[in-house]
Amino acid sequence: MDLADKIYKWLDDRFKLRELLPPIVKHPAPENVISNPLYCLGGTAFLCFLILVVTGIFLAMYYKPTPEEAYKSVEHIMTEVPFGSLIRSMHHWAANVMIAAVMLHMIRIYFMGAYKKPRELNWVVGIFLLLITTTFGFSGYLLPWDQLAFWATKIGTGIAGSIPVMGEYISLILMGESDIGAETLTRFFALHVLILPATIVALLGLHFMMVRIQGISGRL
Amino acid sequence: MALIEVERPETEVKEERQEPVRVRGLPFFPHFVLREVVVMCIIAGSLVLLASVYPAGLLEPADPFDTPSPIFPEWYFLYVFGFLKFWTWDIGPVPAKIIGVTVPMVLWYGLLMLVPFIDRNPSTDIRKRKVAVTLGVIALLGVLFFTYYSIVFH
Repeated sequence: MDLADKIYKWLDDRFKLRELLPPIVKHPAPENVISNPLYCLGGTAFLCFLILVVTGIFLAMYYKPTPEEAYKSVEHIMTEVPFGSLIRSMHHWAANVMIAAVMLHMIRIYFMGAYKKPRELNWVVGIFLLLITTTFGFSGYLLPWDQLAFWATKIGTGIAGSIPVMGEYISLILMGESDIGAETLTRFFALHVLILPATIVALLGLHFMMVRIQGISGRL
Repeated sequence: MALIEVERPETEVKEERQEPVRVRGLPFFPHFVLREVVVMCIIAGSLVLLASVYPAGLLEPADPFDTPSPIFPEWYFLYVFGFLKFWTWDIGPVPAKIIGVTVPMVLWYGLLMLVPFIDRNPSTDIRKRKVAVTLGVIALLGVLFFTYYSIVFH
């Protein structure tokens, strides 16, 4: 009996792995799902999310969310922190690829009619995930506090602010004051690293659980 | 012990009911997982390559008193921007700007959420879903058009 077997047995005695694992490991996946690359899009988005979490944690170790320090700290990441430029660029690219993958995933689901009974609610959760993903992008765009960040956010909050009825409140909640400033930056930072991650993890859990329960829509 | 004996027959019955519904396929592990690992390696490799060749940019520090030109939002918001520019007509008492903002954000996402409840056609065969496919293509072309519009007529 080698070490791996011993560890397996030790865990099995405590967590009944023999009963828990087979349904997960042997669960059948339709053959066309494995051979058709269009079915990779959701997984691609999820991988990008995982890369974003890891690179995001590293960025948060050096980033300072104040108007005085934000730009300098990003500059510091780009020029002085070891591999800082690579980590930030990975974060940038993973974010863009994730949004593209989420959109393409949605287009595939639409044209294959995979949202039909019994998967209606999973489509709705998917739309919320799309909304959260783009809000991630929007809130992250401001954080470097450069000219592009500042003015693109100005336009974005301006557009959100002119939505009838809710617009005024959305813009006040987002900016925390009448113009983009220190309050806005800390709010966007809190949104980007606390509120949105917690929300997306909960919704992703729901999304995957529903796929597991209802199975992958098999017909092409 | 009594509890376990009561529970067992129930789970067995459930499994029997599920059996005929399941699609024939390959086991999740290792087939499905292997494919996922291959795809993940390709994606992760491409991201490292992209990040090395095209690093994330950083412009001048933000200056609230100096408006740069042109300003572009992120590419996935361009269609909102494009529609806002495109739509210049008031409808009754509703000003053009309100329509320009509400249609691509509120109405568009509202419609997307309702898709499974609007499309009651049970078929997943693309040839039997002419209306849904046509509307989908129109929506797609619309988003592409307004994205293009926002870039060209900046």
